[in-house]
Amino acid sequence: MSIETDNNTIGRGDGRRLRIAWHAALFDALGIYGVLLALVVAGCALSPRFASPDNLLNVLRNVTLLGIVCAGVAFVTYSRHYADLSVPAIMAFSGLAAISMQPYGIGASLAAGLGAGLLVGLVNGVAVGYGRVNPIVWTLAMAFLLDGLLRWFYAGRQLYPDAGTRPGAFFLGLSQRELPGGFPLPTAIMLGVILAAHLVMKHTKFGAQVQLVGAAPDVAHTSGVNVPAIVVKVFVLSAFTTSVAGLLLTSMNRQGTFDTGLGYDFNAVTAVVLGGVSLQGGRGSVAGVLGGVLVIGVLLNLLTLLGVGSFGQMVVKGLVFVAVVGATSFFARRSGRGEP
Amino acid sequence: MQAIPVETFCDGAGYPLALRMEGVSKRYPGTLAVDRVDFDVRVGEVHAIMGENGAGKSTLMKMLAGAFGDYTGRIVVGGREVALHRPAAAKARGIEMIHQELSLAQPLSIAENLLAGRLPSRRGWLARAALLREARLLLARVGLEDLDPQTPVEDISQHEAQLVEIAKALGNVPCILVMDEPTTALSAHEVERLFEIIGRLRRQGLAIVYISHHLPEVLRIADRITVLRDGRRVAQLAAAEADAARIVELMIGRAMNEMTIRRARAPGPVRFEACGLSRFGFFHRVSFTVREGEIVGIGGLAGAGRSELARSMCGIDPLDEGALRLDGRPVAARSMAGALRAGLAYVTEDRQREGLALRLRAVDNVLASLIAKRSARMAPAAARSVFHERAAALRLDPLDPSRAAGQFSGGNQQKLLLAKSLAVEPTVLILDEPTRGVDVGAKQILHEAIGRLADEGKCIILISSDLPELVGLADRVIIMRKGRFTREMQRGEFDEDRVLLAANADD
Repeated sequence: MSIETDNNTIGRGDGRRLRIAWHAALFDALGIYGVLLALVVAGCALSPRFASPDNLLNVLRNVTLLGIVCAGVAFVTYSRHYADLSVPAIMAFSGLAAISMQPYGIGASLAAGLGAGLLVGLVNGVAVGYGRVNPIVWTLAMAFLLDGLLRWFYAGRQLYPDAGTRPGAFFLGLSQRELPGGFPLPTAIMLGVILAAHLVMKHTKFGAQVQLVGAAPDVAHTSGVNVPAIVVKVFVLSAFTTSVAGLLLTSMNRQGTFDTGLGYDFNAVTAVVLGGVSLQGGRGSVAGVLGGVLVIGVLLNLLTLLGVGSFGQMVVKGLVFVAVVGATSFFARRSGRGEP
Repeated sequence: MQAIPVETFCDGAGYPLALRMEGVSKRYPGTLAVDRVDFDVRVGEVHAIMGENGAGKSTLMKMLAGAFGDYTGRIVVGGREVALHRPAAAKARGIEMIHQELSLAQPLSIAENLLAGRLPSRRGWLARAALLREARLLLARVGLEDLDPQTPVEDISQHEAQLVEIAKALGNVPCILVMDEPTTALSAHEVERLFEIIGRLRRQGLAIVYISHHLPEVLRIADRITVLRDGRRVAQLAAAEADAARIVELMIGRAMNEMTIRRARAPGPVRFEACGLSRFGFFHRVSFTVREGEIVGIGGLAGAGRSELARSMCGIDPLDEGALRLDGRPVAARSMAGALRAGLAYVTEDRQREGLALRLRAVDNVLASLIAKRSARMAPAAARSVFHERAAALRLDPLDPSRAAGQFSGGNQQKLLLAKSLAVEPTVLILDEPTRGVDVGAKQILHEAIGRLADEGKCIILISSDLPELVGLADRVIIMRKGRFTREMQRGEFDEDRVLLAANADD
């Protein structure tokens, strides 16, 4: 093959490029559902209890909150801002704010919970979008700051919704409610949020702008896209779904504390990247992210069925994260799309 | 921006003008990159700007694109004086740039790229039908009506991407289109197609500024040619009355005589060998040797693969095929550190980004290359003596080890960079554009230093787009074109004209 033909194509120059593209495709788009299928098959083979309807519903139930968080965080990653590490703090803040405002009614309580999250998202977005602060460092700092503020303000105490009042009972019921047919309400919310996020990402002008910002921020800028405004919206969106998850988690735990969302930050990045959203930005979809979320759910469920303890499961989650991030960065670099 | 009363804005010969620049200048720290240049483009004209690398072509065009807040002189667009201090201001005046590096976002579809800044939508939802319709119209204007606008940009050829880029610019209804080296990546056949499209746009009344150093192409497509040298306009002529030899002469000017030619010396034994080096998509089956005390020059156009070759030899970028040998022993240069240990040093073409840590002290920069070679940290006194020895030999000014590298002038930064590479005492020194953007005085010092290093027996590979430098220093010149070595010339066989013509030679 002559060098001229190599020069004249972007991305499909020669056999080597194609091979890399094939490897990368493993993680691209919806390839994750192949992995999910393989896990399910393995699950059926390894444990007779795995395929029972109860257990499968259990898997869904366990990844419900992660799914809701990921629906928002996926936009942050898609816009090449890697991740929102203030996720746990937003979840804790939302839950605490909602419980604090319960004496003023259901509306005030939910508004406070969601408003708390949106406020943090707005601050994150302005700092990263207009202030050009590194998103990882900023959201991590934000997590620390909020964590400290919440401990200080509530003096480290837990807050409990008062089941005797109407708002308290309503709040506690949020996570327990079921749709007709016994399908849990939070899981239905999760599927709704995922669907909405998918449509926003793939079928709106905003989604297309986020993709351009993620794929090539300079091109976006010179093409007349208001990049900082898009970044603000991305972080607000991430904070919004995160605070929804925070409210549900607080309701589920029947208490609000400063460490409510512990671990959701890295679980979310793992699922988002596993689901095919590239850390280099501009690639992937929320449908893929759902696949990533389900893979993590099934994997952990299988480990539980096989008798692996929670510490062991943490190791597996860590390994998955390391493998996915390592592999995608490696292949992106080989195919010339990554950072040097 | 349309409907500008062009009738009242004409040049001396009565042709309506789209743009006039009067005595524009742009100063970078240490150099005057563009020096009181006059330039104009008529409506419906292709006006080419030619010049060697560093002549000021790119700076002039960046000025037009609104990249500088601090140029001096007057710019008149469509009869009105304008201040092009921001990219948005240039766009608002109907000036569109097509850059050498394409500005398309790869995972996005052609349609989304074409209409990136003004995606059609209805209540927030992407209006896909309208998007595709508009994209098809734009594609048709550049002869790509057969291309599906939903194709991701990463799946189309370089040539198609180039045309999509033009379509994107046309979408903003420009009155002036600036094209920077649009044919670098195109085959002869594709250049034909591009020229047809340029011809059509010209007939539609677009003013086109065409920057290139491909002589034959410029002579074919341009109506007028402006030649820049050292930031100044040295000539403006009608393409019809120009020929290649005359333009080469104008581009090179008298600079030839200023450069002293290194005296020939008896060749030593072959020490460095490169056999069949390939990196897919960049360079292909490249082999050469360097003798002791020899300077091998590698000439060619930007994008020919010269820097990529250098980077792969030093292990900065991967090498897909081939082997390196130094004194008969294989060099496994998988990393820069490995290359340094084996005796290869590379002086990057980009001193600001890759070469120097601008905020660190000069002495730390010079000793940075030793980190890979030495296990222990150097004592401060020893470090200072190494620094003084290297820096004094290159007449670093000021000779101040604790001054931050970024505070030195361009020429002295380049000296620091060379000193840094010499600190590891390499056997083979690969120099990539060692005097780019450097003033005349520093250039001379660097040239003397390079000659001295060769006399001391080092093997030197000199990549340079500066023709006097290449011709004056090299014992042997290899021409690289599109990733291959196309010609090798011995001392006495080459001069500036021949190198330039060989670099431009069509296959």
